[in-house]
Amino acid sequence: MSLRVSVSISTIAIAVLCCAMVGLAADPPIPIGVSVAQTGPVALAGQEQVLGAQIAEEYFNKHGGVNGRPIKLIFQDGGSDEPTAINAFQNLINVAKVVGIMGPSLSQQAFAADPFAVRAKVPVIGPSNTAKGIAQIGEFVSRVSSPVAIVAPNAVKAAMEINKDLKKVAVLYAQNDAFNKSETETFQQAVKDLKLELATVQTFQTTDTDFTAQITNVLNVKPDLVIVSGLQVDGANLVKQLRDLGYKGLIVGGNGVNTAAIFPICKAKCDGILIAQAYSPAYKSKINDEFKSVYKDKQKKDPPQFSAQAFTGIQVFVEALRALDKKSPIAKMELAALRVELNKQLISGTYDTPLGEISFTTGPGMGGEIVQKQAYVAQIKMDPDGTKGTFVFVK
Amino acid sequence: MASFLATYDFLLVSMVLAAVLALTLYLPLMAGQLSVASPGFYALGGYIAAIMSTRIFPPGPGLYPVSLVLLEMAVAAVVSGVLGLAVGVPALRLRGIFLALATIAFVQILGVVALNLDVTGGAIGIFGIPQPFSSAIQYMWLAVPLLLVSMLFVARLERTRTGRALVALREDELAAASMGINPTYHKVLAFTTSAVLAGAVGAVSAHFINTWNSRQGTFDTSVNLMAFVLVGGSRTFVGPVVGGLVLTALPEALRGIAGVDVLPAWLAAFLRDGRLIIFGILIAIGTVFFPHGLITPGLLRRLGRRGARPG
Amino acid sequence: MNRTFLLQQVLNGLAIGSVYAIFALGYTLIFSVLRIINFTHGAIFTIGAYATYALTGSQFGINGLLAGATLPFRLPFVLALLGGSVVAALAGVIVERLAFRPLRVRGADPLLTLVSSLGVAVALVNITQYLFGAEPYSYPDPLQGLPSAVNFGTAAAPVLVRTVQVVIFGVSMVMLVLLTYLMNATRTGKALRAVAEDMTTSSLLGIDTDRLILLTFVISGFLGGVTGTLIGLSVGVAGPYFGIAFGLKGLAVIVLGGLGDIPGAVVGGLIIGLAEAFVPAQYIAYREAVPFALLFVVLLVRPQGLLGRAQVQKV
Repeated sequence: MSLRVSVSISTIAIAVLCCAMVGLAADPPIPIGVSVAQTGPVALAGQEQVLGAQIAEEYFNKHGGVNGRPIKLIFQDGGSDEPTAINAFQNLINVAKVVGIMGPSLSQQAFAADPFAVRAKVPVIGPSNTAKGIAQIGEFVSRVSSPVAIVAPNAVKAAMEINKDLKKVAVLYAQNDAFNKSETETFQQAVKDLKLELATVQTFQTTDTDFTAQITNVLNVKPDLVIVSGLQVDGANLVKQLRDLGYKGLIVGGNGVNTAAIFPICKAKCDGILIAQAYSPAYKSKINDEFKSVYKDKQKKDPPQFSAQAFTGIQVFVEALRALDKKSPIAKMELAALRVELNKQLISGTYDTPLGEISFTTGPGMGGEIVQKQAYVAQIKMDPDGTKGTFVFVK
Repeated sequence: MASFLATYDFLLVSMVLAAVLALTLYLPLMAGQLSVASPGFYALGGYIAAIMSTRIFPPGPGLYPVSLVLLEMAVAAVVSGVLGLAVGVPALRLRGIFLALATIAFVQILGVVALNLDVTGGAIGIFGIPQPFSSAIQYMWLAVPLLLVSMLFVARLERTRTGRALVALREDELAAASMGINPTYHKVLAFTTSAVLAGAVGAVSAHFINTWNSRQGTFDTSVNLMAFVLVGGSRTFVGPVVGGLVLTALPEALRGIAGVDVLPAWLAAFLRDGRLIIFGILIAIGTVFFPHGLITPGLLRRLGRRGARPG
Repeated sequence: MNRTFLLQQVLNGLAIGSVYAIFALGYTLIFSVLRIINFTHGAIFTIGAYATYALTGSQFGINGLLAGATLPFRLPFVLALLGGSVVAALAGVIVERLAFRPLRVRGADPLLTLVSSLGVAVALVNITQYLFGAEPYSYPDPLQGLPSAVNFGTAAAPVLVRTVQVVIFGVSMVMLVLLTYLMNATRTGKALRAVAEDMTTSSLLGIDTDRLILLTFVISGFLGGVTGTLIGLSVGVAGPYFGIAFGLKGLAVIVLGGLGDIPGAVVGGLIIGLAEAFVPAQYIAYREAVPFALLFVVLLVRPQGLLGRAQVQKV
């Protein structure tokens, strides 16, 4: 090789290296805000969401970030009450200057805090808000948490397949929780639509630990199926006590109990619960398998729904940023314009997520309402000693 | 400055509203009565405003008229006053810890009722409450006059005969009664005024937070109010106001401090997520070292004297 | 309403009631000696439950500062229960020394102590969450071999009560007997009652009031720890906030029975349990209001509670 060629090659190589290094040094990571319940009574759900988001951050940064530029998650505790969520949003929008926010944990917090994001024109993705009317809060509000309207009837139908003589249904729900109150309305409607007899409706509080009174009322009507809409701890205790007190029929659980976190509480008695799921660890796809394996490494159990939904929320932001960057380089955009364009982009995209294939529908004055292609009904199978369990697909 | 306002506008207005709510605890306390019923009236006021603005008045384009908000505040105040009278007359025969417990029970019962009525929206509550202002800071137009009016009212009350009667009741109820002061009349007066004020604050807050549900105005709110008054100062009306302003800002100030870059990571994480721990410890320490709160009449007199001394 | 249903409701009521009763015992003990409401009882109850969990050699989850922590040994359940309750008693002592004693020494208003105890409770619960995360935990079950429920009826018309609740009922009765014996038949008990009557005079008479108050907190904390663990056995340790929900209902229990009255705590607990159990099925949504409605009515009609003595106002 002649001297001139080697000098030219070296010069070009050095030039490229310098540019690459300058490039790396010049672009700071893209800030995405996460505001979930890290403290307070809802912290159990919030913890799972934090974990899902952190796994997403690592995963997407490992896979090139946004076209070479990494993302950085900024966490601000949204607490378990509305004012804390609002303050967290304000901080993320104005101090951390994020391109978008994932959160808050509760629907009620969303009704309070999301309007502030809408006014500031910052896109929000709700990872676990399932009440009616969330996406309608404003153009900048979207959610990846499916309102269960599709899945609930499937779970009841699955129960009817197992017990062909199913006639009487008892419904229990947590009356002090918006998530469960919305869900039970769907379940009760499904029961009526399927021409079953709604023998009794009992309520409890998510903070309750003893359900003997409600269970006595339920057993009194001799139901074939019991539908439970509660959160992890109360839902699991309710199932355990139902079984302790002799109920031998079928149980359908809502989204709130769609987590391996119920296993330590109801142990062997969790066996057989049919769950209407917005997320299933058993769903086979490349990204779900990778997400699951990272989660299992850390926590030694299957990922719960809240973590999967949080992961998905971050994924939507990242993939929308990538798509947007390809259309017009985001490094050149002003923050305000970037936020608006990001919102438009994320609503129009399709994503292959751990939840399955998702996209958004929208309308005047609203943001993105999730359209989830896959709906899952699973049945829990516990090991005889009650320590390990899995969710097995039913349909 | 603009960025500061943009970040903290919600917090600043919350501080002012909290100061007014603190006065609703202070009023019965002037007569020696620990009543934690005001969160119940606060919740009631909020529901009235939420229901009126979402179901009774038709939604129009643009901003919701402020005059309607004022109307809601008036309605909330009247309804709270009536309910306050109805509950107060029987309940105020109780003393000390018994009254406190009765008011705790009252708030819990209201909470359960709110969860179950259709009109209150159950657990989901009422959302999409129309806005009379285009940004949070403009709520100061409602919050600040409310605070000034209540401060003025209480300040004057402390100087009139009624105010002195309340203090007499606080010091020794039997002696005061034997001097001709009607204890029930004065206690009910303080209680009802407190209810009226709490209802009005609730009405504004419903618009301010965009949504209202059974999680607003609970026992946790009572705990906060007790902290405002007992740490801020229980012997002068300035105390609760200062307590409300400072203690509402405190958790968010800690969040802000945690964001400063120079702090070591573990300290920043603790300040951010351990806010409630710090809050609780501060309350415990405050009650030991400042039993009458931080702002006492003695302190005010000293400050007044220092200011008045010729330079 | 047939007999089986009635019996079931009664037993449900007694079962729920004994949980309230056993919680209220520690609560009312402090009130009986010190005339203060100790809101930290709910937090100490939680600490006891967590301590027992640690002593059974179990592991904590990955959230929280002490992620994945396990003790290097493991104790059988009953020993872990006792150990956990000792830890709870110690926590009670620390709270007493740091938060209540300074207030008592300064002659503070009991309402101030109430507020302080609220602050300490908030701090303790959040410290627990900070250290251990918010996951629910479950004890290795000592009752595994036994059937899950005891049948008080017949095979044809079963009236079932969960076994663990029968255990709790038994324990609450034992605690009641022990405490009553302590207060009425021992010298220490007499001294405690003297301190309750008049602290200044008692100390003038040579009673070491400081040590006795400490003892009260030890007993109350120990009771709280036992309660926390037993309830944790029945329903799992539902996270650091699981003691707080009992705190408010506990107030209704002790007022109903009579503030400071030890048998009153049990009577109050059982009555509220029965009232909750007898709420008709269609009104179950209002069940939460029942203890507080009862509390309100009792306060208006008979503030000293069922077993308390009417308070005479000295002029």
